[in-house]
Order: sequence, then C-alpha cells, then structure tokens
Amino acid sequence: MADEINRSSFLKWLVDPIESTNDVAKRAYRFVGNRRVWLVPLALGIALLTVSALGLVQSPEDFFFAYLAGWSFLLTTALGGLFFLIFNHITRASWSVVVNRINETLVWAFPLLLVLGVPLLFGMHDLYHWTHEALYDPSSPQYDEVLAGKRAYLNVPFWSVRIIVYFAAWTLLSYRLYTFSLRQDVDPDPELQKKLRSTSAWGLPLLAVTTAFASYDILMSTDPHWFSTIFGVYFFAGGTLCAVAVISLVTLLLQRTGGLLQNVVTPEHYHDLGKYLFGFVIFWAYIAFSQYMLYWYGGIPEETVWFQHRLRGGWAWHSAVLVLFHFLVPFLILLPQITKRSTVVMSIMSVWIIGMHWFDLHWIVLPVIRDGGGFHWLDITCWLGLTGIFAGALMYRLGRHPLVPQNHPYLGESLQFENM
Amino acid sequence: MGEGEPDRDRLVRGHLSFHDVTEMVSRHAEKKAPMAWYVAFAVAFSGTLLLLALFAYVVWNGIGVWGNNQPVGWGWPIVNFVFWVGIGHAGTLISAILYLFRQHWRTAINRAAEAMTLFAVVCALIWPTFHVGRLWAIYWTLPIPNQMAMWPQFKSPLLWDVFAVSSYFIVSLLFWYVGLVPDLATLRDRAKNFWRQRILAFFSLGWTGSNRHWRNYEKAYLLLAGLATPLVLSVHSVVSFDFAVSVLPGWHTTIFPPYFVAGAIFSGFAMVVTLMVITREVYGLKNLITIDHLEKMNIIILVTGSIVGFAYITEFFMAWYSQVEYEQYAFLNRAFGPYAWAYWIMMTCNLITPQLFWFKRLRRSVPVMFALSIVVNIGMWFERFVITITSLHRDFLPSSWGYFTATWVDIGTLVGSFGLFLTLFLLFLRFVPMVAMSEVKGVMPQADPHFHEHEGNGHVEGDGEPYITPAEPALVKAYRAGGTEDEETSA
Repeated sequence: MADEINRSSFLKWLVDPIESTNDVAKRAYRFVGNRRVWLVPLALGIALLTVSALGLVQSPEDFFFAYLAGWSFLLTTALGGLFFLIFNHITRASWSVVVNRINETLVWAFPLLLVLGVPLLFGMHDLYHWTHEALYDPSSPQYDEVLAGKRAYLNVPFWSVRIIVYFAAWTLLSYRLYTFSLRQDVDPDPELQKKLRSTSAWGLPLLAVTTAFASYDILMSTDPHWFSTIFGVYFFAGGTLCAVAVISLVTLLLQRTGGLLQNVVTPEHYHDLGKYLFGFVIFWAYIAFSQYMLYWYGGIPEETVWFQHRLRGGWAWHSAVLVLFHFLVPFLILLPQITKRSTVVMSIMSVWIIGMHWFDLHWIVLPVIRDGGGFHWLDITCWLGLTGIFAGALMYRLGRHPLVPQNHPYLGESLQFENM
Repeated sequence: MGEGEPDRDRLVRGHLSFHDVTEMVSRHAEKKAPMAWYVAFAVAFSGTLLLLALFAYVVWNGIGVWGNNQPVGWGWPIVNFVFWVGIGHAGTLISAILYLFRQHWRTAINRAAEAMTLFAVVCALIWPTFHVGRLWAIYWTLPIPNQMAMWPQFKSPLLWDVFAVSSYFIVSLLFWYVGLVPDLATLRDRAKNFWRQRILAFFSLGWTGSNRHWRNYEKAYLLLAGLATPLVLSVHSVVSFDFAVSVLPGWHTTIFPPYFVAGAIFSGFAMVVTLMVITREVYGLKNLITIDHLEKMNIIILVTGSIVGFAYITEFFMAWYSQVEYEQYAFLNRAFGPYAWAYWIMMTCNLITPQLFWFKRLRRSVPVMFALSIVVNIGMWFERFVITITSLHRDFLPSSWGYFTATWVDIGTLVGSFGLFLTLFLLFLRFVPMVAMSEVKGVMPQADPHFHEHEGNGHVEGDGEPYITPAEPALVKAYRAGGTEDEETSA
C-alpha cells in the first residue's frame, strides 16, 4: 500500500510521491490538523506571486533578481535539510529521530523547486550577463576577453544540462531518503535502515559536489567576472543554518498551535537543535569572514570588486546588518543553555534566522543590479510568495504521514534522550 | 538499541569490570618498563639529540645551511610546521568536538590523542622559532612594552600564528590535565612507594571523587571543550592565512581556511590510527580500543580525505574559471612542472588511497589501515610541500624562477622532529595512564543506573516519575529492557 507511488497526477507527485500513510500512524504521531494548515500559506503564496507578476510588467529586471533571491533561499534551505538529514543518518544520531520526519518532509522539495524555477529561464538574459552574445564577438565593442575565456563553462546549453543533472541528483537522493523512511512506518524491515544509511554514504559526496557547482552556476555567475573558491561552502553554511531553523520552527508550530508531538519533542531536543543553530551561526560567520578578509587583505582588484559593490552606497548598511544580526546577536542569544531550551526563544530565533538567511541571499544577488541598496517591494513579495507555496506543500506532505518515523530503530533512544 | 547494531553502546569488549579497566591501564604506568620500551626510547631519543645538534648548527652557521633560496624563502621548516600543527588537530577534535557531539567512543582514545596534540604542537613550535634568521630577537614578536617603543605588526598572520599556536598549546595542556586529574588520583591511591605517592598526590590536586568534585569537573570539561572547539578551527585557519592573505598565485584563495582544517583533521587522525594500532597491540588494550573505534576513525579519515580532494578539484576549477593567467599557470605548473612528482604523490596519497575505506572489509583490517594511515601522512606532508614550494618557485616574474633542493640539514631536522615527537610520546606511555579510565568507566554498561534493574519502570526505588513523560511507555520499556542485556559481568 505504501509502496504504491501515485502516478495519477504530476502535481501530486511534485508535492508528495507517496500515498498517504496516516492510517498506520500510532496515536501519538498522528496529524490531526485541518486543511487550513497548508491552504492558508498556499493561498497567500499564490496571491503574492500574482501581485509580483504585475511587477514583472513594471520592471522585469527587478522581478527576476528578486525572484532569484527568493528561489535561492528555498533551494539552499532544501539542500541544507538534505545535508542535515544525511549527517544524522551517517552518524547514527539518535537524538534527531523525533524531528527526522520533519526534516524528510522539508527535503522532498526539488521537483517543486524545479517547477518554481521555470520563470527564471525567461529572465536568463537579465540575470546572467554571460548570456549576451556580443561579449564573444571580437569585432564588437562589448567584446569581453575574460568572459570569452570562460565560455566553455558559462554557456546556456551546458549550464542547462548542469542544472538538470543537479536536480536529478538531488531528487534521487531526497526521493530515496523520504520514501524509504515512509516505508519503514508500515514495514519495520531492518534492510530499510541499511538503505537509508548507504544512500546517505554515497549521497554525501554527490551532494557536496553538486551543491558547490550549483552555487557557482546559480549565484556566483550573476557577477561572472568574480570568483571565490569558498563560495560553495558559504552557500552550504547558510542553507544548513536555515534548514535547522525551519525544522525547529515547524516542530514548534506543530507543538504550540496543533498540540501535536506532546512529550515526543522535549526541551532536550530543542536544546540540541539550538546547539546546531548556534554552531552553524558561527560556521557561517567563519566562512563569510574568511572570504571577506582574504580578499580585503590581498586587495587584488578583480577580487575586491564584488565586495566594493556591497560595502558602498546603501549596501554598506546591509553588510553591517549581516555582521550584527546574522552573526553577533544570534550568537549572543543562543550562547547560554537556557535560551536553547526555551520554546519561546527558539521560536523567535528560528524565524529570525530564516529571515536573515534570505537577507544574506538578497545581499548576494541584488547588488548586481542595484547600486543604492535598499529594497524593492518585489523583493519581499517574490520571497514570501515562493515561500508560501513551498510551506503549503511542506505542511500538506506532513499531514499525510506519521509525524515521526515510528519504526526507526533508535526511536526509543530518541524519546528517552536527555542532554545532561 | 537497534537491531543489527551490535556495536552500539558496546564500547568495551571482553566483559570487563571497572576493576579490570583500572588494572589494564594503570599497570603500564606502574610496572618496570620492558626492554622494548628502552630500545624504542633510545632510538627516539637519538633523534631528539640529532634535532638539537642540527638546530645548534643552524643557529651558529646561519639559516643558509637550509635549502631555501631567493624565490623559495619558505622551505621545509614551514612545511614541517604546518604538518605538525595539522597532526595536533585530531587530538582536539577527538577530545573536544566529539565530546560536544556526545560520541562516547572517543573515551578510549582521547587521552592518547590529546597527548599527541601536545607533542605535535611542541614539534610545530620549534620550526617558526628556528627558521628565523635571528633567533635571539624572536621575543620582539611579543607585544612587550620596551625602551624602543616598538610593537609587533598586528596585521601579519605570522604574528597571529604566535598567538594562535601558543594559546592552542596552553588550552590543550589545560584540557588534557583537567581530564587527567581523576586518573592521577587513581594512580595515587594505588601507589606503594613513598615518593610516587607524594608526587601523584601533588598532581592530582587532592581529588577525592566527591559528588561536588565531579559536578565541577564535568562543567569545567564541557566549558574547555566548548572553548577548544573554536580554538582548534581558528588555529589552523590562522595557519592557512599565512598563505592565503598573500597575493601569490596558488596561495591566495579563499577556500584555504576550511580546507586546511579538514586536511589537519585528516592527517591528525591518520597519525592517531598509526599510534593506536601499535599501542593497543603492544599494551594489550584491544578490549578498550576495539576494531570499532579504529573503523570510526577510518570513516573520519575517509570523509576528511574526500573534503580535501574536493578542495583540490575546486582550486583547479577556479584557477581555470578565474581566467587569471598566473593562477592558471600555477596549477598547470603543479601538475606538469618540475615538481609534478610531488603533486602526484599528494594526489595519490590523499585523494585516491583513502577511498579504499569505502569498503567495510578494508576499514576493519588492521594491516590495511596501518599502511594507509602512513600513506596519508606522507601525502599530507607533500600537500604542504606542494602548496609552499611550487607556488614560490615560479610566480609572476619568470626572471625570478628557481628550484628548491633540500639539504641534509633539512632532512636531518625533519627526521629529528619525529624523534622528539616519539620521545615525548614514549614518556607519556610510560608515566601517564594512556586511556582515560574514569571516562571509559562512565560509558560502560555497569555505569548506567538501570544496569541492575530488571523490573519496574527502570528507576530505582523511590525515584518517582521519570524526568520526561514518554509518549509511548511501552516503547520506552522495551528500550530499557533491551539496554540491559543480561551480561555475565565479573563484578
């Protein structure tokens, strides 16, 4: 029954490739929410994207860059969730089992993201300067020697093939990790646990390489003259941070508003999620600072230009906000034990970090077209619109299956888990 | 307790009791050292003497006796420095980072790994000290008020090195010593000889193992672990800044900080495997340092090795992508220039051979892992060699291209530094408990308060309700029943 993959409609497969297994859920893990949980974000998302479409008519460039920032925000989060899930499988983590299902639900996002990414294809010419043919014509005044040298990598056919390969790899990985775990709910076959671990093992190098190259293709090449070897790690650090924040937030929402997962997810688990948030806040800052400091110190023009854009004009404020509110404030708040164990603080911090992760991507993407800094209304509507659709799909999936992998061999350990 | 997971929570093999663990570990610090130890010590100590003699020779004659030349101002001393600092990082990873991640398997190896860290950092610090031209003025690197009103340049990563490595040494020493206190008290209580008792009493700081002691101890240990973790990552990042802040093609790249850290963990773990494989064999600790421990270390070697390999590929790709001709040439020169041999040794040892650890059979084979751990360290030494030498010997101006050839002093000091490292390590094995007894006992099944329980809610009488109300009492009960398998323990 759970093995039947519903092929009846493509849309359903995008959102959830497995038939609902809620009927096998034990009472403690059954989702009892109503449709509003996913309909409201979905409706809001569609409404906001419809409004954004008006902006597309008004100023296409602003729309496409805002859309890219919002879409990258979701993509990095889904990738971060995939990394986090793989880490927990490989290390045989037991504390995380109670939030694993939420993590898995987050991870089945790539087919939907690919569909949501289609509008970007119409903006390729605006987004990616290297798509302009004149750059490669030696007789043209726009001829660019540097970009002509990169043409073997930065050209539309090869770029498209790469994107398809990345998404195929991510979909395959998330499909396996998501569906094996759902099957385990119905059938506690120990083989499934082995499959989850082996998939994670070969999936990790695959995921690492594809994520790094995707970061060059999708974000770094918006400024095609600039390059940085650490950029892929930066992309990973922010995404994983945001994914942990999303997992915490969804868990808190289920618990606080839906009354679900009572005595399943305890302050002990929030404490650990908080530690991960804390750790990745530091890791992100370490990577961001390393990238900045090394380019500032060397002072080589073709490398500093990217930061020049982001430290001049209005963008200087954005950079200062990143240092203060993406690193320093979360660092200080999450440092003591008590805040990580408090559901109130964790709720605030999760939302805060999710917002800051988008701000970080906004700071990466938008300076390419906007010298003065600040926000366009499209930046917000595209981001929230896409996020609404994404969140609606996530909550819909979550409502169709047990909220916890109920036959996971370490579930007992996870329920028992205590930090101190 | 998962099905098919025999090694979960079964960190100590052979049904040992607490007393057996104490005996196993303490014995080696108490009995007379065997002949083999003296032989090994004699060999290692002669290496130390060679090192001292050569350093005296270098200081007396000047650093021209090393192979460094005009384009290649940083030769083997810096290569060795980065190599030894890297070796030290695994110890802190095992003791601090794995502690934060609640990886209980670390308990059997953390003491030796921490000791290894200290000795590796000692071996690292000698290089920046002796590769300067005027050793007697090296205190100028310290910000001390002086009659010249001169201060060091705080923008130099070489100065950051001074602070990073020295604070790293101090924190590692404290961390190691704090961990040692309960074990030294055990040795003190077992000591028969008057002076031995007095000396151990001094170093164990009056430890009696009271509840209050333990509470403070655990807190201190956790805080030190929390401090040591960012420290260890920052130290090797600072070491990577020595290269990355320059404008040299092949050095100036942003991935260096995390990539150097991954390489450090990679080589450090390889060194831990090398030493542990021998130690568990010679000292009969196979029940404490089990094949599962070694397998987990090999997995970490595989992961970090793949990260390092990924960084090589990233650097190569970005060199091409950047379209900076110097950067492109730097990497072509590495792969196909006069030092291609070193580059391909590095690639083979670091990227290709660790991939053998994908196979469980090879991961768990002691001869294979021993050979591979040595191969990894050869590869990691060459990695630093490649980064340092090949980027220097050919850069912007072809008129200042050169070639670096090591002299006998270079070779002798490198060999001597291994002698120093092994001398210190052998002394540690001889006088200090090489396994953290108190921590190992803490993860043994007998230490679990539910160990002797076979009925009820798994709590001792009068304990009342469990701290957390479980969602599924039946599941938890089953878990507890599974957690206390009836084992014949020799109490």
